[in-house]
Amino acid sequence: MRVSRARSATIAALLLSASTTIGCAALTVNSYVEPRIDLRSYRTFNWAPADRLATGDPRLDNNQFFDERVRRQVERGLAGRGFEQTTDAPDLLVHYHASVSQEIDTRNIDREYEHSDAHEYEPQVYDAGTLVIDLVEARTNRLIWRGWAEGNIDGLIDNQESLQKQIDEAVAHILSRLPRQL
Amino acid sequence: MRGRQVAIAALVASVTTVGCATTMAVSSHVERGLDFSRYHSFSWGPADALPKGDPRLDNDPFYKDHVLGAVEKQLAKRGFELTTTGAADLLIHYHANIRKRFAIDRGAQAYDSCNGANCPPETIAYEEGTLVLDFIDARTNRLVWRGWARNTVEDTLRNRDKMARRVDQAVTEMLKRLPPH
Repeated sequence: MRVSRARSATIAALLLSASTTIGCAALTVNSYVEPRIDLRSYRTFNWAPADRLATGDPRLDNNQFFDERVRRQVERGLAGRGFEQTTDAPDLLVHYHASVSQEIDTRNIDREYEHSDAHEYEPQVYDAGTLVIDLVEARTNRLIWRGWAEGNIDGLIDNQESLQKQIDEAVAHILSRLPRQL
Repeated sequence: MRGRQVAIAALVASVTTVGCATTMAVSSHVERGLDFSRYHSFSWGPADALPKGDPRLDNDPFYKDHVLGAVEKQLAKRGFELTTTGAADLLIHYHANIRKRFAIDRGAQAYDSCNGANCPPETIAYEEGTLVLDFIDARTNRLVWRGWARNTVEDTLRNRDKMARRVDQAVTEMLKRLPPH
């Protein structure tokens, strides 16, 4: 009885700390470019049909606010790097995918517990978010560039403003890995 | 000691953020700058095809009736009229999902029954249910508001009365976040 009470209290505390703790965490950004591709030879882009894949979080599935923010930032970012959006035979088709999964950080568990402040050596559970942006060559339908950002987004989805900031930052970081068009 | 402080902090947070002593986490996204006083009527829009994540919620008429009933009651209180024939200003649909989540159980520490090396934290798995409500402008077909509530469902799936109360509470708390109408 007591155990199950403590347990639901823990769940309560976690749910709440997830919705009240807000902050932009460090992002890890990476990209992959198909060998022998010169991204400078592409000038124009448009959106590929949306994939409507589940994100792993019901708050983000089919969330138009999220979708529009990502698209707006991608369009701005690509324009800022000299790419032009067109519906008339674009060189590149763009699509993105977002996913959320819960991660358990166990880095500290194996250390000796009793020799330190116990709380610093406890496992942490958090929501990790990944945003992937793909550039596909329209002519061949081949993926030529993929960029992604990953980070701790705990508490961010429950706060619209913080989530938007995180989207802006992630998209900017990902697209900064593209060469600038002349 | 510190565990107890965390527990107290969590309790305080639950009282201040949710307004009552529950474990529910509620939030929403909204179209900024939109005047919600333009909306007077609503009807139920077609359900979406998103995964529910759990067969126990598929085609459950009891659950569906309770969600619909709770939303209709709360919206009537706020002056929205349910339209069953003809065009409504808002289309509403809901989405329910269950997913497996993990938490770190510091329960023993919080209850002071042990400390330090005697009670390392445990990782526990639980099932989190999310109820999402979408408000769509019927004229533009754009999402104007989305609210959600999350909670553990371990004690509700097998207890219909509890589920009904939980749904009522989720809908009530969520709709408190609607912009002024």
